[in-house]
Amino acid sequence: MGDPSDEELMRRVAEGDERAFALLAPRYAARAVGLARRLTGSSDDAEEIVQEALLRVWINAPRWRAEAAFRTWFYRIVVNLSLNRRRRAPFAPLTEAGDPSDPSLDPAQRLERDETDRQVAAAIASLPTRQRMVIMLTYDEGLSNADAAAALDSSVSGVEALLVRAKRTLREKLRSVLDGNA
Amino acid sequence: MKHMDETDRLDALLARRAKAQSPADQASAARVLANLANVPLPRQRHGWRWPNVLLDLDFAPAWPRVAALAGAAVLGCAIGFFGPTARLTEGPGWTAAQAADSDFGAVSEPELFTGARP
Repeated sequence: MGDPSDEELMRRVAEGDERAFALLAPRYAARAVGLARRLTGSSDDAEEIVQEALLRVWINAPRWRAEAAFRTWFYRIVVNLSLNRRRRAPFAPLTEAGDPSDPSLDPAQRLERDETDRQVAAAIASLPTRQRMVIMLTYDEGLSNADAAAALDSSVSGVEALLVRAKRTLREKLRSVLDGNA
Repeated sequence: MKHMDETDRLDALLARRAKAQSPADQASAARVLANLANVPLPRQRHGWRWPNVLLDLDFAPAWPRVAALAGAAVLGCAIGFFGPTARLTEGPGWTAAQAADSDFGAVSEPELFTGARP
């Protein structure tokens, strides 16, 4: 018998099963921390946001209806909390919160790759908030357009339009990188 | 064609970025989960239907008192509907007092001497 699905665990969480919650929370905690860190630019804020999001999952579990995937619902909470946090606090530069480099590369390659990733991160950070969130949810978290729309409380066509605009802006900002990679 | 190439390269860059999961995120997640494991989880909210909404809003009623109040109300209704007074009024030979003729019409009758109406 395989691992229980998210939805099965949520049904148990809704009945107050703390062990089910302890199984469910680790599945998305690290991804959610990464998403919140990229949205807020702060690892400390990301930890607080994910802790708050998980507590909200626990508290509101009896109200949860399996109309959308648990992951979508959870990311929606994380996105909303991140936006609230960003309204209160200034945005930290993403270079401080960037992803670590790949240790398997040689130093020169690693340096070049780090520089490329830094430019990509900076270009994404410069996007308008909703465009940035769409890029993060679809590319970083692998959500479908429909799930991203649910997470952002938007329509699928709205998400598609945001993606088109975001990628057009990214192509312009990253032209040197893209030409260099040709 | 160039546009397609750029789009593909951009997709590749974004996908590569997505794959890179930070060990720092794993450590942060571990701290978050440890924090949650060390504190008692708060009370869950059960929805908007009675009486859960009161419980969620910390207006939890003291159930023995509510039960006593409801019992008193039911007893009062039972006495009112089926008590001794109800039996008297519904018993054989009992007729409720009732005016045979209303005095209301006299109010608008003219005075005997002057003929004035009120």
